[in-house]
Amino acid sequence: MNTDFNRRAFRLIAAPAIVALIVVFYFRFVKVNNTTVSLTLLLAILAISTGWGLLEATIASLAAVLGFNYYFLPPVGTLTVQDPQNWVALGAFLITAVTASQLSARARRRTLEAVERRREIEGLYALSQSLLLSGSARSASQDLVSRVVKILGVSTAAFYTKSSDETFRWGPEDPQISDERLRVELEETLLDAQGSFAIIPVRLGGQALGNLGLAGPLPSLAVLNAVAYLVAIGIERARALEEASHTEAARQSEVLKSALLDALAHDFKTPLTSIKAAATSLLGGDRSAEDRELMTIINEETDRLNRLVAEVLEMVRIEAGKLHLEKRPHHVAEIVDSALADLQPAMRERPVEVRLQSDLPEAEVDFDFVQQVLKQLLDNALKYTPPGSPVIISARAGEGRIVISVADRGSGIDEQEQARIFDKFFRAREHRFRVPGTGMGLAIAKGIVEAHGGKIWVTSEPGQGSVFSFSLPVYHREHGQMVS
Amino acid sequence: MSAGKILVVDDDPQIRRVMRTALIGHKYEVIESRNGGDALASVSGEMPDLVLLDMNMPGIGGLETCQLLRNGSDVPVIILSVRNTEKDKVAALDAGADDYITKPFGMEELLARIRAALRRAPSSPEGGPHALTTPDFQIDFDLRRISVRGKDTRLTPKEFDLLRYLVSQAGKPVPHRELLQAVWGPDYGDEPEYLRVFVNQLRKKIELNPSKPKYILTEPWVGYRFVAAGEDGEPRP
Repeated sequence: MNTDFNRRAFRLIAAPAIVALIVVFYFRFVKVNNTTVSLTLLLAILAISTGWGLLEATIASLAAVLGFNYYFLPPVGTLTVQDPQNWVALGAFLITAVTASQLSARARRRTLEAVERRREIEGLYALSQSLLLSGSARSASQDLVSRVVKILGVSTAAFYTKSSDETFRWGPEDPQISDERLRVELEETLLDAQGSFAIIPVRLGGQALGNLGLAGPLPSLAVLNAVAYLVAIGIERARALEEASHTEAARQSEVLKSALLDALAHDFKTPLTSIKAAATSLLGGDRSAEDRELMTIINEETDRLNRLVAEVLEMVRIEAGKLHLEKRPHHVAEIVDSALADLQPAMRERPVEVRLQSDLPEAEVDFDFVQQVLKQLLDNALKYTPPGSPVIISARAGEGRIVISVADRGSGIDEQEQARIFDKFFRAREHRFRVPGTGMGLAIAKGIVEAHGGKIWVTSEPGQGSVFSFSLPVYHREHGQMVS
Repeated sequence: MSAGKILVVDDDPQIRRVMRTALIGHKYEVIESRNGGDALASVSGEMPDLVLLDMNMPGIGGLETCQLLRNGSDVPVIILSVRNTEKDKVAALDAGADDYITKPFGMEELLARIRAALRRAPSSPEGGPHALTTPDFQIDFDLRRISVRGKDTRLTPKEFDLLRYLVSQAGKPVPHRELLQAVWGPDYGDEPEYLRVFVNQLRKKIELNPSKPKYILTEPWVGYRFVAAGEDGEPRP
């Protein structure tokens, strides 16, 4: 400050001094005509105005007019202002001074502006680089405010992020950029009239991400908007990265789950394979009736254990959402036929009636799984109804669904138990100790039907029988698609 | 005299143990491998008559072993697996296996499948064709050779038997069950996926355009039909 003032004072004295030197030089030492003197003075004024500014040049101009008038214009030694030459010289000197100083001031301003722009661009570049290097969206937000302060030279920066409703701050507390102010959603940049603070909306693709508040010496509006845009890109990028790594982690855990289930199936079934192979191998030979009975028990219990393992694993798969459906168009008649064939000879003992709607559309289902559901319902009908009582299988279409039902004439299910019959491990009180079972069959059936986007339910009247029904999606033939 | 030499490939020692005991009891000669790599060496070194191959093994798995083995051998392969979905069966047959059995299995069932796999239909069944020439291929059933558009082509024994049965019934639709029992044996009949895989493989080897077959046609809901002259266009809807 002090040195600036001293320099200015020096210049204000030096400017007329230079003029005086020229006047003395021509008056005393070198005799030339007046034109040469005036041109030399003009050059000096030009130099002063370009180098130092308008005020110095104006003082120099006045000094030059006085000196030129007094020493060179006749009558020499007097100040006569009547002479029109005086006015011409004074006008020339002043116009030169003003024009030249303005031109040079403009050039200086341009240079200063260019330097400022370069600094701003360097700042933005540094900011963009640092934003690209930050990790998670949270740490990016935290880094961001400190970097904005450091790079833009503002005193305080605060970033309010809408997604987590948090504000990240750096620098001294500033009431001008309070949390309340930052939370207000803005259409455009809010710039304080004195330029002491600004709140800039941060948005990407029309979506508001939050607001950036800055206090202290602010850069230009263009820079503020560029900063907001950079911040939006940086935050969005960090968020996308974070999301991608989450998705990848989730996928890996799914792969692990599947692999674990496969390993479990393998580990349970391998010893069962040895036991069954050994038992059946012994059964194939020449054995006493007693041996045969004991080996048959081993064999049958191995099968039971195997079914149990299969059911447990299937339940786990359904609950883990790991049921892999191969959905294709199938005729319900096909599924019914194959389920009935699999349940022979037990099914042969029963009067079975199949009532399928005549123009039934194809269902879009996984054949094996749906067949398993139907077999489960038929098997239940066999297990829980008196021998010789009829079983009716029916199917009808409606509202984009096919509903398949299995009806029996058993003792029925009371209302309380109807609600829980599809629960895992649930066994009806009446049958709990009378009929073997795990209580997983209907829960698995429900899981399979729901995986197809269908529903399973039961209607029953105690003493009259039960109807188990499930719905399946109808197959919609795409144009030109051939079904082989 | 041994009923045949069987290579048992399984990483589980107890399973190998029970198999060896049971199979030797039925007059088979048994060799063992603990993994796919050993199995490949045994097949070329010991020339077994049949391979029982576990699907789930560390290192080279069952499917890959089967594919590698098929590069140089026609030995019948039965895959043993704990998985029982149709997708897994089709994958095994696609890899070149002749049959597939789900663990745990009864020994009687395995023995029946072993017998079926070892059984070769006699090279010229009575009344069966000895040779066939079509615009696209020539077959010599006695020598079990086929040449497709001038090139010698290898068929696996099951593919060959399947083709021969279809040719012997040329022009007639052959139902799935009949075809399965003729080629695999009397215990078979409910494995239409076997036919789907083997017919696809046959079509790839003999048809000019396997997706629009001219010789082995699908009879929807029934079975397959062989047309010696080659039918133009698509199979009947």
